[in-house]
Amino acid sequence: MALLQISEPGQSAAPHQRKHAAGIDLGTTNSLVAVNRSGVVDTLPDEQGRHLLPSVVWYGEDEILVGYDALEKQAEDPLNTISSVKRILGRGIEDIRSLSDVLPWRFDVSTDSSVPRIVTRRGKVTAVEVSAEILKALAKRAEDSLGEGLDGVVITVPAYFDDAQRQATRDAARLAGLNVYRLLNEPTAAAVAYGLDQKADGIIAIYDLGGGTFDISILHLNKGVFEVMATGGDSSLGGDDMDHAIAEWLVQEMGIEDMDPQLSRQIMIAARRAKEALTEADQAEVCIDYRGETACRSLTRERFNELIGDLVRKTLMACRRTLRDAKLDREAISDVILVGGSTRVPLVREQVGEFFGREPLCSLDPDRVVAIGAAQQADVLAGNKPDSEMLLLDVLPLSLAIETMGGLSEKIIPRNTPIPVARAQEFTTFKDGQTAMSIHVVQGERELVSDNRSLAHFELRGIPPMVAGAPRIRVTYQVDADGLLSVTAEELSSGVKSDITIKPSYGLTDSEIETMLRASMEHAKEDVDARMLAEQQVEARRVIEAVDSALAEDGRELLSEQEYDAIVAARDALEQKIDSATADELKAAIKQVEATSEEFVARRMNASVRKALAGKTVDQVDV
Amino acid sequence: MSLDLQQNYFELFGLPVSFEVDSAALHAAQQQLQSRFHPDRVAGGSDQEKRLAVQQAAWINEAYQTLADPVKRARYMLSLQGLDMNDEHETTGDTAFLMEQIELREEMEQCQSCQDPLRCCDHITGKLDQRSKEYAAEFQRLYAQGDHEAARQVIKKMQFIQRILEQIDEYQMQLEEDLL
Repeated sequence: MALLQISEPGQSAAPHQRKHAAGIDLGTTNSLVAVNRSGVVDTLPDEQGRHLLPSVVWYGEDEILVGYDALEKQAEDPLNTISSVKRILGRGIEDIRSLSDVLPWRFDVSTDSSVPRIVTRRGKVTAVEVSAEILKALAKRAEDSLGEGLDGVVITVPAYFDDAQRQATRDAARLAGLNVYRLLNEPTAAAVAYGLDQKADGIIAIYDLGGGTFDISILHLNKGVFEVMATGGDSSLGGDDMDHAIAEWLVQEMGIEDMDPQLSRQIMIAARRAKEALTEADQAEVCIDYRGETACRSLTRERFNELIGDLVRKTLMACRRTLRDAKLDREAISDVILVGGSTRVPLVREQVGEFFGREPLCSLDPDRVVAIGAAQQADVLAGNKPDSEMLLLDVLPLSLAIETMGGLSEKIIPRNTPIPVARAQEFTTFKDGQTAMSIHVVQGERELVSDNRSLAHFELRGIPPMVAGAPRIRVTYQVDADGLLSVTAEELSSGVKSDITIKPSYGLTDSEIETMLRASMEHAKEDVDARMLAEQQVEARRVIEAVDSALAEDGRELLSEQEYDAIVAARDALEQKIDSATADELKAAIKQVEATSEEFVARRMNASVRKALAGKTVDQVDV
Repeated sequence: MSLDLQQNYFELFGLPVSFEVDSAALHAAQQQLQSRFHPDRVAGGSDQEKRLAVQQAAWINEAYQTLADPVKRARYMLSLQGLDMNDEHETTGDTAFLMEQIELREEMEQCQSCQDPLRCCDHITGKLDQRSKEYAAEFQRLYAQGDHEAARQVIKKMQFIQRILEQIDEYQMQLEEDLL
């Protein structure tokens, strides 16, 4: 059908081979997807014009709902409605216990796997699977908009995410069937979106307070190169904690003692509404249905500021630490960017401005800025912008260490080391004739292994028996551009080697992911059908548009009335089918339009060639 | 496109082998190399290309980190002469230096009971910075003369100064946080 779109001679009619890339902000509370459409990068709305997709998944009897539809189920069916799942992504059972007062679901702790599983009516699900549902919904939104499948995506993660959390994010993408070009740190994505790469030289701070995570990053910008100098934060601190502080206040004010999951949900929802209202108002009413009556309390901005004062102070403490890691004074910072929905809270803006001594930038929507930056980077990584100078250089957010004698943690790669990086350290045996060595990989800043995050255990076997201290075992840590670790251990005198890509202790094993992939294949047929239909619908619209414009241009001129009407009839038949027919029926209807207009296409070709040649002599024409 | 991994770090960045490094030139050279070899440049490439890119970018980063830090740079220069330092098992036999070490540590501990501990720390930091400069100059002189063993002794002192500076820094940070 391409020939209907005849272009002027000398101009190329073939669209250049663009790859379809998207940027995804997989957030604690809300997620977004952005793509580049005709040179404009923006987030994509749903049919109702809403850009945010609440990061909520509802597991129903025979369907899974994601986003606003799932959110509606939250109050009535809290146990099967999973929200804020990012907080437990890449976390172990122990971490979950400490969060259990925030998270209302039932966890299954009986399995062998160390990955926590949430019990729903559709069976037990992991955070990776829940995240994959959200990613699928976002990918579908992008594909519907582009009319084609995605070649690759950039997914953002908090800069402060550790290896287990990054790995879990990658696993979720794999489960959702997405090709990940790169995991990009959220603050870096925000800097990209602000177009600060146009700036010649400068140092910026990005303060990112989301629903469940806090990040502070210091970046050095120089001619399109974004170099992270230091990063810090807290991967379990955010707007949810503000809601929680309000909820606690309300529980005390009302003297509630008979708490149940439904009431708890209701209180959290009311708390969030109050927080949002206090962005504009000085006072907000917090109302819930309690013991069959509507009970309300009024919360002033002042009281709210007191409730969240400690939380904001904690974030500023992290800012100080990070500045110190970057070996910088506050005066060196030329710009401060605010990212994340929680930076709408007036106290946050005020205190951050005061801390850095300058008015923070917040001209872009703090909810959308990260996805937009990710889409820009995805476009570059897809090869759509060969001239782009843009380069994003990241650092390792948390030190990588190894367990040594006495349960001590010895750092192999300190935090804020630029990545990719590879470092090796030598160890030896402590017993005569020792033939195996256990290697425990940990991440974190503390002295004791037990205070840090355990990433993996593995064994180097087959060391030739020697006296204690004689073998030389070299352990190499390598971190790639995504911040993901792989470890190799080698006995140097014998060449015995063992290497693993770290599958975190809190992560899913490859076979677990395989099983999940197989399970999702059962639903895959439906997904494939839906995608085929969407593709044919896009194609049908494109064909109709092409026919319309060709007919308007020279249809009356080149066609008899009968021919003209035949094409219009085929076109109308196709249009009628768009929203009701199956993919196959649509395909047939498209074929019908193409067959009917074949002669028209040929005549247009000839006419266009004649026009191009008109007035030229033979030797002016390139043959 | 691949890097020549046989080059030494100075050659990699196109700099002369010298303790005095133009940090702006070093930084610019590092960014220029990363622009060409970073894994993002082969995001759509094969797994092998990506693995190679990770290794090359890691090597560039390691080289940069080494040359950007005075103590690491000095140690690296010594290793180019075939002399490696073995940290754990080396101590200095310089008694005057040892005495000074002990005094500095005592002074740091006294800071805690100072009226203005932050300023007290600044005072020690100032002294240490001065010492750093002196040792750096000494290292340079000895290295140029080819007296590598003596140069190695100086590096141990530089390392000590760096460590105590880090401790003071950590202590000051803690003090500031406590004051908040």
